[in-house]
Amino acid sequence: MYRGKYSVIIPFLAPPLILYAVFVLYPYAQAMYVSLTHWSGVSPTPQFVGLRNFARLVRDDYFWNALSHNLIYLAVLPASILALGFFFAFLLTQGVRGAGFYRIVYFFPQVMSVVAVGVLWSFVYHPTLGLLNGFLRLIGIQNPPVWLGNPSTALLAVGAVVIWQAVGFYTVFFIAGMESIPTTYYEAARLDGATGWHLFRHITLPLLWENVRVAAVFLAIGALDMFGIVQTMTEGGPSRATDVLGTYLYENAFKHSQFGYATAIAVTLFVLVLALSLLVMRATVRETVEY
Amino acid sequence: MASVTYEHVTKRFGDVVAVNDLTIHIEDKEFLVFVGPSGCGKTTSLRLLAGLEEADEGNIYIGDRLVNDVPPKDRDIAMVFQSYALYPHMTVYDNMAFGLKLRKVPKAEIDRRVREAAAILGIEDLLDRKPKQLSGGQRQRVAVGRAIVRDPQVFLMDEPLSNLDAKLRVQTRAELTRLHQRLEATFIYVTHDQVEAMTMGTRIAVLRDGILQQVDTPQRLYDYPINTFVAGFIGSPAMNFFPATLVQENGELYVDGGTFRVQVPPSRKEAYLPYSNREVIFGIRPEDCHSEQFVPPGVREARVRAKIDVVELMGSEIYLYCLTGNKQFIARVDPRTRVEPGDEMDIVMNMDHMHLFDPQTEMAIR
Repeated sequence: MYRGKYSVIIPFLAPPLILYAVFVLYPYAQAMYVSLTHWSGVSPTPQFVGLRNFARLVRDDYFWNALSHNLIYLAVLPASILALGFFFAFLLTQGVRGAGFYRIVYFFPQVMSVVAVGVLWSFVYHPTLGLLNGFLRLIGIQNPPVWLGNPSTALLAVGAVVIWQAVGFYTVFFIAGMESIPTTYYEAARLDGATGWHLFRHITLPLLWENVRVAAVFLAIGALDMFGIVQTMTEGGPSRATDVLGTYLYENAFKHSQFGYATAIAVTLFVLVLALSLLVMRATVRETVEY
Repeated sequence: MASVTYEHVTKRFGDVVAVNDLTIHIEDKEFLVFVGPSGCGKTTSLRLLAGLEEADEGNIYIGDRLVNDVPPKDRDIAMVFQSYALYPHMTVYDNMAFGLKLRKVPKAEIDRRVREAAAILGIEDLLDRKPKQLSGGQRQRVAVGRAIVRDPQVFLMDEPLSNLDAKLRVQTRAELTRLHQRLEATFIYVTHDQVEAMTMGTRIAVLRDGILQQVDTPQRLYDYPINTFVAGFIGSPAMNFFPATLVQENGELYVDGGTFRVQVPPSRKEAYLPYSNREVIFGIRPEDCHSEQFVPPGVREARVRAKIDVVELMGSEIYLYCLTGNKQFIARVDPRTRVEPGDEMDIVMNMDHMHLFDPQTEMAIR
């Protein structure tokens, strides 16, 4: 049975391992190296500078500014999206008429590309021609905010778009989970004296905990990224009010040709994401539930 | 503790009438069994009482209280589900305590009741386990325990033994009966297994297609089935039925099955007389058909010549699949009977236990 098993395993395992090494591990390693260099991106030989890029990072106000925005998003977005997704999923599994229709409508934003969403919402937020301000004027608000042009509203406006886009997916995600919970648990709990809130708190939430964990990790990683939507809507502006690590590293790399420094930001981001994922998984660990 | 009353209760699912005009009064402390084939409405009847379904028509009372609009949690009932429905993320202790916690029972009291119930069921050492760490029989006990701790007025049980293996089922059957005697509560029990119904119920309600056929004690249900359905459903192997004619000759009544003719006992003559010279269905249970070699004393004999088709040895008895003409019937005979397939022999029927049914209405003629 086991004799010669490697002659089977190796041919199957080798191709994916080689691909993974060439396209994942090697670039990672290369990025680690580049982050220790001074490199314009075009010269053939990056100049090794040790940890100087990271030292600069620590003193760079723009870096901290960008990171703070990521952290704000991290604090707000996953929680809001999870809460809304759970809320809608719970509503749509209570036998609402037309639940299938709502499900599809909620899911729409998810199938659009981030760039399309960004452009679309830039129009919606347009100070004079936008749908939003048009509506606000209609209900009597004379000087509605310039959403993306005002540093005090831009961060919020971009975050709202992300929520809008993501809620549908997590609604469907949680609906799938909720529908796999046998109804007898709810019936037993109702006989035990549970009301709507109890059912949610003591049955739905604990039984969907694995789904919540996965969603939380995805959303946390997403909140540390945010590059696509910010880049298409504001490019980090106005006056860096929506700058995130992604846009700031892009700016350093492709506008200022500081690839070494940009890569140092990227490596920092990588470490942050890794640490955060582990933290979320650890903090939310529960015994796996089977039924 | 309380009685339960269904008053003209009807429940439809779309075009299907699951429960059709059910009227039944269940006494306090009774062990009533709803029995019938799948889809007969027995589980729906139970769920209506639990409040998990809403009746389209009729009233349901627990004690004197009309509960039609009372939510499940306020009906003071507990239910054991077929799947047990133990909360998978909670320990056995928490499963049992959940209902009490929601009802804001003091912690010490919860602890006392959970441990007491666990002691009754012999599951004290399982309290810290999760349901997935339990065997089927243990889960079943926990499900019962969860019902007991609530100390409800009425216990509802929906086929609680159907997921257990045969041996455990027999054991648990007796335990549930004992539990009923100990708790002195009203039990309403649903099963498709007539053996469970016969062994556990103080009364049995037989349902078919949502319609209540007969409610009575197990013995009376067995002795006096009201129609061919109940007659065929209660008892195993099922009662034998023969299409026959009732003929009157020289002042005596005979059942003429074409290939056999058996005499009606004098005590039944008066009741059957109106049906003389009419078609009837003749019913006799396999246990009232004896082999000619071993006829117990006191049997009102009527002999039917039969060809033996199949011999099933059960140990304590033998099932003979007999043919009279091309009509098959089963005889449950003494295990000492010596017979081979293909043999011909007289099967002796005990006519004191005969049944006669009207072929049009399928109702018993009495």
